[in-house]
Amino acid sequence: MLTPKERLKNVMEGRVVDRPPCICPGGMMNMVTQELMETVQVFMPEAHTNARKMADLAKAVYEKGCFENYGVPFCMTVEAEEMGAKVDMGSMIYEPHVIEYAINSVSELDKLVPVDLESGRAKVVLDAIRLLKQETKGAPIVGNLTGPVSTASSVMEPVVFYKELRKKNKEAHKYMEFVTAQLIAFGRAQIDAGADVIAISDPSGTGEILGPRFFDEFAVTYLNKLLDGLQKEKMGTIVHICGQMNSVYKEIDKVRSDVLSFDSVVSMKEARENLKDRVLMGNVSTYALEFGTPEKVHKLTKGCIKNGSDIISPACGLGMKSPLANVKAILECLKEEA
Amino acid sequence: MAGTKEELLAKLAECVVEMEEEEAADTAREYLESGYPAFDGIMHGLVEGMNQASELFDAEEYFVTDVLLCSDAMYAGLEVLKPHLEEENAEERKKAVIGVVEGDTHDIGKNLVKIMMETAGFEMIDLGRDVPLQKFVDTAKETGAELICLSTLMTTTMGGMETVVELLKEAGIRDKVKVMIGGGPISQKYAEKIGADGYSQNAVEAVRLAKNLLNIC
Repeated sequence: MLTPKERLKNVMEGRVVDRPPCICPGGMMNMVTQELMETVQVFMPEAHTNARKMADLAKAVYEKGCFENYGVPFCMTVEAEEMGAKVDMGSMIYEPHVIEYAINSVSELDKLVPVDLESGRAKVVLDAIRLLKQETKGAPIVGNLTGPVSTASSVMEPVVFYKELRKKNKEAHKYMEFVTAQLIAFGRAQIDAGADVIAISDPSGTGEILGPRFFDEFAVTYLNKLLDGLQKEKMGTIVHICGQMNSVYKEIDKVRSDVLSFDSVVSMKEARENLKDRVLMGNVSTYALEFGTPEKVHKLTKGCIKNGSDIISPACGLGMKSPLANVKAILECLKEEA
Repeated sequence: MAGTKEELLAKLAECVVEMEEEEAADTAREYLESGYPAFDGIMHGLVEGMNQASELFDAEEYFVTDVLLCSDAMYAGLEVLKPHLEEENAEERKKAVIGVVEGDTHDIGKNLVKIMMETAGFEMIDLGRDVPLQKFVDTAKETGAELICLSTLMTTTMGGMETVVELLKEAGIRDKVKVMIGGGPISQKYAEKIGADGYSQNAVEAVRLAKNLLNIC
């Protein structure tokens, strides 16, 4: 019998396995729910700033039968915060979010501080990964990064950022270079600490927002720089992009991650037709996971397999109030079908 | 050499579509200096340009970044023309409250909807992002707005939309205020589930929905 780690590794390398793995990476793709926190008595927002609690909550996700991976952190604000943005840690039900930007324009790049891996929440995340590495085996540890465009538009006001892609094109590229270099440093440190997989979510770098030209020029370019900047000694990489893909299938296929993941507005069938040779992950509706029934989740899970998804996962971050019975239904279905 | 009114109106529209912020302001000045009425310049020049931009957006030729720049050009022209509007043109505009619900700071979609709705003649009261839920209700009450537009991009915060609907009921004004919702994880089904009046998938649709809900043709 394959361990979850072996199964994921095989799928990432394009080999046939007994059944698809069931993964929820963490980061933007939140996999923690209120019920889970209550079950193990480890809570947010404390788990965002305490490595022990972060590791314990990540362990609960696997041990309580939700998903076949560990993953940290549980938000997408660590990188922006380390570069100078102010973050509100949220509450038990709200995720941390940026409340004050570090700069007003891409041309203020000089004001930014590089990510310090020895302090702050970057260190919390790395410590949590080290704890997971020491204390667990069998399931893959996923280190999460916020994508280049999403990080860039968390460090400064997104509306200004999007406009400056055109208006201050050269400076925007310089800014993206800096942001990407920070992400590479953080990602490499995560792998050194013991992360098997790096998952990058770039929800603000969508084809719908940027259009094909800027999606290619900014999202794809810097995702690839980030992927290329990570060391080879790792199991694999996942890139998750939000929004409709129909205008940018050609561009997204250039992204050199092992796995591509989409949200629920993308039909898995259509994604499969457009990306024949790629390992695809997704995309059980998080709406169904929060408001549906285990039977409905079962049905959707089967639909994902049938339509060509290689790794089954929620389409987006889980809503905090999703019942555990629904969340567990994905994995239960996969085990039954095997 | 000054152009005819039609030429200048067409040029105003073109500046908006082509995202030429400074040229839009310059053309607006030229238009005023030629003695033409500000109201027409706004409606048949700038707004017309924004409508063309939204058609391009609908056709997926323009994307969010483009529309944001078009709206900058529109606002630049508007700033020049607005002080010259005659009083009688200040018609009664429908008010709508808009914001991103508590816990979420993603406001691109919200900003886009706001721009499109302003262009379509609504008076938008923008509460920004990460807005405490009660504030939507209080603001609607204070301003007499007939519509609340709620946005979120996160699954974890969408529950706040249902709370706003509940708070409107508690305040006894649910029948006076329509609620429309949108954002990444939101769907028509979700709108029905929480008792919102409508859902729209994008900013262009949002304008149609708002007009429908308030019976404006």
